[in-house]
Amino acid sequence: MTETAPIRIEDLVVDYGADAVLTGLSLCVPAGSITALLGGNGAGKSTTLATLLGFVRARSGTVRVDGIDPGADPDGARRRIAYLPENVALYEHLSASENAEYLLALSGETPAREALCEAFRAAGLQEAAWSQRLAGFSKGMRQKVAIAVALLRRTPVLLLDEPTSGLDPRATADFNALVSAVRDRGAAILMVTHDLLSAANVADRICFLDAGRIVEDLEAEGPDRFDIRALHRRFAVTERAAAA
Amino acid sequence: MSLWIYEVGLILRSPVALIATLLLAIFAGAAVLAGLHEVSRQQAAIAAIPAAQAEDNAAVAVRVAESQDAGSAAYYSFHPTWNAPSTLAFAALGMRDVSPHMLRIRALGLEAQIYDGETFNPELALPGRFDFAFVLVFLAPLFVIALFHDLTSGEREAGRLRTLEALPHGGRALWLRRSGLRFIMLWTALGVPFLLGALVSRAPLAGTAAFVVIVAAYLLFWIAVALLVSRLRWSSVANAAALAAIWLVLALVLPTLANVVINRALPVEQGSEIALAQREAVNGAWDIPREDTMRRFYANHPEWDGIAPLPETFHYKWYLAFHQVGDESVADQVQAYRTGLERRDAAARTLGVLLPTVGVQAVLTRLARTDLQAQLAYQNDIRAYHQRLRAFYYSYLFHDRPFAAADFGRAPTFVEGG
Repeated sequence: MTETAPIRIEDLVVDYGADAVLTGLSLCVPAGSITALLGGNGAGKSTTLATLLGFVRARSGTVRVDGIDPGADPDGARRRIAYLPENVALYEHLSASENAEYLLALSGETPAREALCEAFRAAGLQEAAWSQRLAGFSKGMRQKVAIAVALLRRTPVLLLDEPTSGLDPRATADFNALVSAVRDRGAAILMVTHDLLSAANVADRICFLDAGRIVEDLEAEGPDRFDIRALHRRFAVTERAAAA
Repeated sequence: MSLWIYEVGLILRSPVALIATLLLAIFAGAAVLAGLHEVSRQQAAIAAIPAAQAEDNAAVAVRVAESQDAGSAAYYSFHPTWNAPSTLAFAALGMRDVSPHMLRIRALGLEAQIYDGETFNPELALPGRFDFAFVLVFLAPLFVIALFHDLTSGEREAGRLRTLEALPHGGRALWLRRSGLRFIMLWTALGVPFLLGALVSRAPLAGTAAFVVIVAAYLLFWIAVALLVSRLRWSSVANAAALAAIWLVLALVLPTLANVVINRALPVEQGSEIALAQREAVNGAWDIPREDTMRRFYANHPEWDGIAPLPETFHYKWYLAFHQVGDESVADQVQAYRTGLERRDAAARTLGVLLPTVGVQAVLTRLARTDLQAQLAYQNDIRAYHQRLRAFYYSYLFHDRPFAAADFGRAPTFVEGG
């Protein structure tokens, strides 16, 4: 299971000069699951994503994206990753369709028009918006465009960076439903977030990151999935530690 | 291929890129037209020479008909020389705007005639005329800056950089594609007007191809500078300011400083000073005994000695002899002047290896044969022709042979490069 997981990180150490950011991170995200990575500012969440994308080189440890080492073959790793940044910024003067087609072209994909429409529908983007320029789109609508691209790419890995920040509760619920759908198609999803409630709703596993390593690893259990109060307490501890 | 189409689509929706490219094409087109017009004006002036010369000869023939004095014929006859523009001169006018491309000479003292026409126009001396070379060397880098200063920083500022770079074809390949596309746009904006000009001018294929390659190389140099600056990850505004400063230093400050340094290190007197010295030598000859002058003349030209004695009255062979002696009295100055110019030119070409703005101008004017070398070669042609003229008139003068109307037609004619 661990060996075949699309996201596999073992004893990862990353530093920026004298600043150690990840100090022995180990994490495994199996196919068809969502792992939420929580932690205070500077805990190493974004660096974890950057390392998976091949933007940051590891000092030591093992990182594999669907079996590919992103440090050695960043393009190979990126072919297997769909990535949604915190703010999905696309080309304002292009329509949703044009943006999606361009991003897909940069991914090496040329989907049929019908497939793109289907992806937009699946992402919950209203048909009237497909040909509209992105200039007037809300954050939620932009995310739906990006999710549609991710759906079409059918990558084994989906990385989400603070996906629900700035979304209203309804948009958050819609987004979570979408992410769940991607998970159900077999993708391994790693979600970096501050949104504890959203993580508890959608994730199968929640990991707390502190000072560059995982200090608590909780799995969803039973109908309530997670003990929200315990999560809040734990989160408060990591936030205080980060602030200190 | 589809990625290129998407990139073309993106850049076609960028007003800055489109306006910049269009403006560069307009500048290049205007420069090519101005160059063609100037070359055409010079060609027309050269083409008008035979008719004007025939008219001039006829007038002088009437004047000389009665006396049949070869000295009068030599004194009053002007003989045209010209330096026709090459077919690539329209693109790099070089020294053709500050140096004469036509000179009517007489068989008298030559140096004053050559250097009398040497003018110095400070307004044109530094940046040169508005020609294609000017647009390429001085203006094109500004358009490179306009299209490249925000290549990556613009995406970063718009928040798209991470999204793009996280895609398999969105990293280095994306920047190479975008850089390539912008390069092609700029190259086309410069290259198409130039190629049309070359077509109109019937420029040779090799020279035209060399020009096109130099345009590409020079653009690539500035693109490389812009990409190096972009690696510093500054803001678009900071990139633009840094690139503008680099342009100012490379295109204006360093060449100007280098010019000052070269001129100070390699002092060369003005050509007009040679003309003045020669004139003083010639005018001074009226005040010294004729025999002294003739002795000096015969010492250098024994072939004319003892053929016919100098009469007591005025004779043109004495007059022409002291003109030639005047030329010979400034020969060292002339040689020093030419050597100085050539050393300055060599220093500038050496500088061109380090400074692309200077180097490209030097190569373009060499290809267009509008540089100092071409100017000196024209002077060599004039000198060779003048020697033939002297020999022609001396053969009448020193043998006391009459100069008939038909003899005007026997005078040697100027041959370019001959």
